[in-house]
Amino acid sequence: MSVIPAALAAAAVLAGAGALAGIVLPYRLRIPAVGVLTAGVGVGGGTAGVAALGGSGWAGTFPGVLPLAGAAAAVDALAGLFIAVAGAVVAAVAVYGIGYAAGHGPHGLGSRTAQAVLPPFALTLVLVPVAASVSTFLALWELMALGSLLLVLAEHRERASVRQAGVWYAVMTHLGLVLLLAGLALFAAGAGGETFTALRAGAHTVPPAVRGLVFVLVALAFTSKAGALPLHAWLPRAHPEAPSPVSALMSAAMVNLGIYGLVRTGLDLLGGGPAWWWLGLIAVGGTSAVYGILQAAMASDLKRLLAYSTSENMGLVLIGVGASGLFAAYGDRPLAALALCAALLHVVNHSAFKALLFCAAGSVLRSTGLRDLDRLGGLRSRMPVTAAFFAVAALGAVALPPGNGFISEWLLLQSLIHGLAVPGVAVAVVLPLSVALIALSAGIAAAAFVKALGVGFFARPRSDRAASAEEAPILMLAGMGLLGAACAALALVPGLLGGSLDRAVGATGLPGGGAVSGGGLEVRLTGISAALSPVWVVAALTVALMAAVGLPRLYGRRRRRVNARLWDCGGGAPTPRMAYTATSFAEPLQRVFDDVLAPEQDLDVTPVRESAYLVERVRFQRRVSDRIEHRLYEPVLRALNTAGQSARRLAGGSVHRYLGYGFAGLVFLLLALAVGW
Amino acid sequence: MGLLRKIRTTGRVAEPAPPRPEAEQPLAAGELRGSVQVRCVDAGSCNGCEIEIAAAFNPLYDAERYGARLVASPRHADVALVTGPVTRNMAEPLRRTVAAMGEPKLVVAVGDCAIDCGEFAGGYGVEGAVADVLPVDLAVPGCPPEPDQIVAALRRVTGR
Repeated sequence: MSVIPAALAAAAVLAGAGALAGIVLPYRLRIPAVGVLTAGVGVGGGTAGVAALGGSGWAGTFPGVLPLAGAAAAVDALAGLFIAVAGAVVAAVAVYGIGYAAGHGPHGLGSRTAQAVLPPFALTLVLVPVAASVSTFLALWELMALGSLLLVLAEHRERASVRQAGVWYAVMTHLGLVLLLAGLALFAAGAGGETFTALRAGAHTVPPAVRGLVFVLVALAFTSKAGALPLHAWLPRAHPEAPSPVSALMSAAMVNLGIYGLVRTGLDLLGGGPAWWWLGLIAVGGTSAVYGILQAAMASDLKRLLAYSTSENMGLVLIGVGASGLFAAYGDRPLAALALCAALLHVVNHSAFKALLFCAAGSVLRSTGLRDLDRLGGLRSRMPVTAAFFAVAALGAVALPPGNGFISEWLLLQSLIHGLAVPGVAVAVVLPLSVALIALSAGIAAAAFVKALGVGFFARPRSDRAASAEEAPILMLAGMGLLGAACAALALVPGLLGGSLDRAVGATGLPGGGAVSGGGLEVRLTGISAALSPVWVVAALTVALMAAVGLPRLYGRRRRRVNARLWDCGGGAPTPRMAYTATSFAEPLQRVFDDVLAPEQDLDVTPVRESAYLVERVRFQRRVSDRIEHRLYEPVLRALNTAGQSARRLAGGSVHRYLGYGFAGLVFLLLALAVGW
Repeated sequence: MGLLRKIRTTGRVAEPAPPRPEAEQPLAAGELRGSVQVRCVDAGSCNGCEIEIAAAFNPLYDAERYGARLVASPRHADVALVTGPVTRNMAEPLRRTVAAMGEPKLVVAVGDCAIDCGEFAGGYGVEGAVADVLPVDLAVPGCPPEPDQIVAALRRVTGR
């Protein structure tokens, strides 16, 4: 028996045991037991994924598991990559989750329901890439959506906004499911089979128009899961409202599966397609990247900021996937492999730093009860370890060396810049534009994370709760430590992933053959002459920093040091209220992007009763709302509401009328049968 | 182009430099080696002295050609140019301002009020002369002192 099925079976058994433990055990035992078993699920999944990345594969069918078609499973290197990432995130977050839920009391994440759902949800995260037929995939996909929905709702008793977020998430994820179901059913009908092998074999027999429709439907569903525009509205609602370990799982493992689905269907099963598919995908990705990070830069809710940043990073990944498909459509397969490689590496990097960011935000939330950056501050001295982890992850998120996000964005930019050799007007327009969008999003990301780190963790506390924050317990720190180590490893020695990434890219049918190679210390691009050695970058940065700090001390004139009072213009000492807040930090950026963001401003002046010239009270309110959501969703919701209201007239309450409807329906049906068929 | 033409047609308006003042340099001023950054503090003045100080730095008197320069923060300053009687509200800010200056530092009291409270002596809001609050290195008498007197005092500090 090979490693992969054994590890997956072990994960499944552990998940079952975890669910049982969650239901049966009393509160005190429940959380550690479920945490350990969930971590086991993660380790099992990670083992299977790593084995698959190492080059072994596995396929199996389970006739009795699902009705009619049975379940089919297969693991190749592409699936292996996503399984390994999901497994690693699950393992680390499960350890973190024990500490998180323990102090919370037997409600919220510690409740019986949440603890019983957590291990199966973790299992579905690992198993979705294993599915090898449409029905298996859809079943697991739906289980994953339901599991995450229940977990998002864990704290519904504490905040009404959780319930609202739950409704949004439920509706949108099922909208995605409907699209997916329609698309994949159409595909399966055209290809004459519903297993992935049959789809792969029959894809070229499907007429091009149907293929296009399938891709559009499926891409809409998968980009919605990945949090890309325009079906992103659930993400900035559900991720902040979920308990933090769940946010970490959703943002670092679940959204990845949207990318997996897209790569699997678009590049592998459909076998690539015409350029317009991929141009559309690049457009979606580019818009999501810039719009997502702009909203992140505006957000003053820490977890909302992180959620929008997920939208941005998935946008970057979509640009990579789109570029890969585009290059493949024009026949430049090595470059296509490089772009996909960059996208997949960014998925891995994003998972590492985003899980860590959400965990760190969770520590802050648990300790202070605050997500509002405007009321946080000064946490660096109260929670030094959490602050350090947040800083490490933020460095990855801003895509600057020596962070881990830098490597994958560098790869992505390399592939796009060298793509200019590919002929075609659309390519010549789109590629430079995407390079510019990536650069812009990286710049705004820097502003967003300087804000998150600087306003949230530095300066002085802006509220009593922030001032009395305490460092997270050891298990939470341990979970964050694992993720921090992963971030550091990805930043320093990404070359170790080279072979695995090649095999994952190769599994889609593109020539994996060494698009990225190199030993532990270097990343070499074989198709184009470019190499990057992150270790040397880090070493050079360290030396430069030491020189900048050390040389003036060595050679500068020695002067007497005097501890003087802070210069406060002769007035009183500045209060924390005078410090930069998240809102004030973002204000200049908001002015620059005024046309895009269209902030709503509300000025309310109340004069005193005696005179209109004397002001008693001024109320000023400014809100940056999600404009795309406003423009796109509100008309739809209004139309639905109107339709529902007008449909009420059909149901007037008269029994006679209802009987009449039944009779008319029957007559219509019989007529249709008699005439039509 | 209008500005350039104006500069060309106006030419130099600064008055010829009077001879260097005879009086000796205050002790700490030697270390400054002719480059003096000046911070003005209005400790309760009627703003007469401020107008004269502003005039001392205008193109006509041009105190900057002797090495004195106005700065916007005591952190950058070597000399505190204090005007007016020290009022109760300004006594502590004045102390803090001078404390915020780096060494070596000098305090120059400008105007009669700064020297002996002048017109405002005995007022209910007056704490005292500048010398009652801080050690004063140099005094410029006058109500208000003329710009060339202020320039002469600053030249004693710069030594140029």
